[in-house]
Amino acid sequence: MSAPVVQLSNVTKRIGKRTIIDQLSLDLQPGEVYGFLGPNGSGKTTTIRMMVGLMKLSGGEITIKGHSIQTSYEKAIRQVGAIVENPEMYKYMSGYKNLIHFARMVPGITRQRIDEVVKLVGLQARIHDKVKTYSLGMRQRLGVAQAILHKPSLLILDEPTNGLDPAGIRELRDYLRKLAKDEGITVFVSSHLLSEMELMCDRVAIIQNGKLIDERVITQEGSSSDAVGKYRFEVDRPADALALLTQLSAVISQDGIELSADRETAAWINAQLVSAGIKVYGFRVQNKSLEDQFIEVTGGETIG
Amino acid sequence: MGNFVDLLRNENMKIYSRPRTWIMMGIMLVLMLASNIIAVSVGADVKSMWQVFSMQSLFGFSAIVIYAVIIAADSVAGEFSAGTIKLLMIRPWSRSKILLSKYIAIVGFALFFFAALFVWNYVLDGIFFGFSSGTVQEMLGDESARNIWGYMLSVYGLQILATTMTTITLSFLLSTVFRSGGLSIGLSLLLMFMSGTLSGIFSLIDKPWVDYLWFMNEDLTSYLLPGTYEHTLGFSIGVLAVYYIVFIAITWTVFNKRDIAS
Repeated sequence: MSAPVVQLSNVTKRIGKRTIIDQLSLDLQPGEVYGFLGPNGSGKTTTIRMMVGLMKLSGGEITIKGHSIQTSYEKAIRQVGAIVENPEMYKYMSGYKNLIHFARMVPGITRQRIDEVVKLVGLQARIHDKVKTYSLGMRQRLGVAQAILHKPSLLILDEPTNGLDPAGIRELRDYLRKLAKDEGITVFVSSHLLSEMELMCDRVAIIQNGKLIDERVITQEGSSSDAVGKYRFEVDRPADALALLTQLSAVISQDGIELSADRETAAWINAQLVSAGIKVYGFRVQNKSLEDQFIEVTGGETIG
Repeated sequence: MGNFVDLLRNENMKIYSRPRTWIMMGIMLVLMLASNIIAVSVGADVKSMWQVFSMQSLFGFSAIVIYAVIIAADSVAGEFSAGTIKLLMIRPWSRSKILLSKYIAIVGFALFFFAALFVWNYVLDGIFFGFSSGTVQEMLGDESARNIWGYMLSVYGLQILATTMTTITLSFLLSTVFRSGGLSIGLSLLLMFMSGTLSGIFSLIDKPWVDYLWFMNEDLTSYLLPGTYEHTLGFSIGVLAVYYIVFIAITWTVFNKRDIAS
């Protein structure tokens, strides 16, 4: 593993007596899309605000490319592009003027770069219109544009798919993955849209009540044809099927049996069951979705 | 890292690309024109263009002060209420410098309006009442031999100084502390309009500390009028300077310390 781009170590935030974030530690690798999941009020936005210096830390440390956000803020934030909550722009100016505004704040951004980014987010047709005439999806695109103008090493997006239509979500997803893969940008996305995160992220962290409760690697589909998965066979006589497959440590579940196997074994088991005269109505991999896992680890609790 | 001038250009862009700035300017210029038309149509007894110029300037000053309050009060609070403060602050600039760029842009706005008022009034009054080299003597009735240009520029200068040190800085402070445009505009205007009344009331109190209240020293241009004064211009500027430093210190400290959680 290479040196992490972002390191949060024992980050704590207290407001009054309430501890909003409690000893949170995360390491983000270069070029990965990192999902940050949690129920409402779990501290996602607070964490992001601390990462970009809008809020001060009560304890712990955040470093971005080795620069501490507390002690060398200007160097650290130079590496960051972000949308915090909604992409709020100056509504009385055109999208282009908004981009010029943010471009001026970081040295070395040329007009060509602005045009390039506008094209990248697909806003060419409307960029000279006032932002107040934009739809939410267009504002989101403009938000992404201002975040990537200065070619950051870390892109922080808070609920980026909010207000985007399905095509827009897909486009954003593909674009983020491309940024991470081709340019080595680390993308940090917070969301509670679990299915989205599953498709977008390499790793996800789940926080609840300001504590990290789980961190896991997401395996992208299609990459695991010979991996062992949990299969469920729907059969008419589960007890007989179980007796037939004693060596495979299967268990009876409703309307069938469950066992662990790879793809080839599953097909072989099917053949065995059929040749033993047991009716197989269907069998499939029991993929636990991220949503199931999320509910499982957070206990389905919402605001704690 | 970057160039501070770019921050100023940004703040100026935000002020001057809004129609309201030009509406304010238009209202001010039209009011000046209207007062000339009224003066001519009622056949007012005008000694020279400078007499009208002087009265119109006082009228114009109150308009500019209100405009400056609006712009200053909206400067920080507006970014908070629109949510743009989050995108503005996450750039490689310290909070202090971003705040400074806003402050300088507001002072620049006031200077621009004062300059426009001066030029517009000069041109209008010259056209309506004839360009003349009137004297301070005929206008104020004192024995002074002061040059009219010198006198008028001093009036503008002291007015700009007083407006910058008190009104603009105070509404900028309120804007930063309360983060609400409405509240800071309201409070600033209230304090501004009450300062005349307050200084009237407090001047009845015969205590030494009264002289050190800021609203007792706010009217710097009164030192240009003939007569004797209780204090010197230097004293009043000194008192205002102390308040100014306190206002600036509070504004910057609060802005640097607070979490941005809008």
